[in-house]
Amino acid sequence: MDLYKSMAVSASGLKAQGTRLKVIAENLANANTTAETPGDLPYRRKTVIFKNELDRAMDVDKVRVAKVGVDKGDFQRRYDPSHPSADAEGYVLLPNVNSLVEAMDMREAQRSYEANLSAIDTARQMLTRTIDILRT
Amino acid sequence: MDLGNLGIFKLMSRKMDWLTQRQEVISQNIANANTPEYKGRDLKSFSFRDALSDNRRLTPAATDPTHLAGTRGPGGLAKEQKVRDPYETAPDGNNVVLEEQMMRMGQNAMDYQTITNLYKKQVAMMKMAIRSGG
Repeated sequence: MDLYKSMAVSASGLKAQGTRLKVIAENLANANTTAETPGDLPYRRKTVIFKNELDRAMDVDKVRVAKVGVDKGDFQRRYDPSHPSADAEGYVLLPNVNSLVEAMDMREAQRSYEANLSAIDTARQMLTRTIDILRT
Repeated sequence: MDLGNLGIFKLMSRKMDWLTQRQEVISQNIANANTPEYKGRDLKSFSFRDALSDNRRLTPAATDPTHLAGTRGPGGLAKEQKVRDPYETAPDGNNVVLEEQMMRMGQNAMDYQTITNLYKKQVAMMKMAIRSGG
């Protein structure tokens, strides 16, 4: 039944966006995580990569998280000699997380999640209407 | 008497098939709205002419299990195709615009409701014709 297929596709979308939100939450939570000792590196921002995948049993293009990679961008540096992990010159390495970028990403994930939800809702309505034919 | 062979019922169930398939395609587009290199798709639009010509086409009857099905029976799968003039393409190669998809989905749901209501009305009319004897 095609409507069930369309619900399954939307569900895969919900799952993918959920994973994305999880990674964004990790980034935001670790936005200020510095290294423990002067030589170490601080938290590195994580990124999510989506991939579309043909579900052969149902013949539909589902979506899945291909991999959670890392952002290879440069770390921020801040002059703070009193910090426990400051180097010899007094600089501390901070994570390459920009909370504004994360906030934007989060909003986009939320919008996509809502779109998938309403796709499920529409499919459900269509099914209900079909069943309603039987009632007359 | 088979209701499915009556012209209008046949037409309505074909349209419902088409709308169901379109809902599936739209769901795929929405689920892949953030997938790099994904290109949005849509169905070839449902035309009255195609539906009519299908109505008139003769189909070979398969009387033996080893008979092959014809190339395309009446009311076969509608063709899926890539959208030719996308509204915009994101830098990652994705050309799905969520707003556009939501609009299409709303349209689809309304069309579906129209057809199911029509179907109910048609059945009600038949019932009325049956009852009016006495």
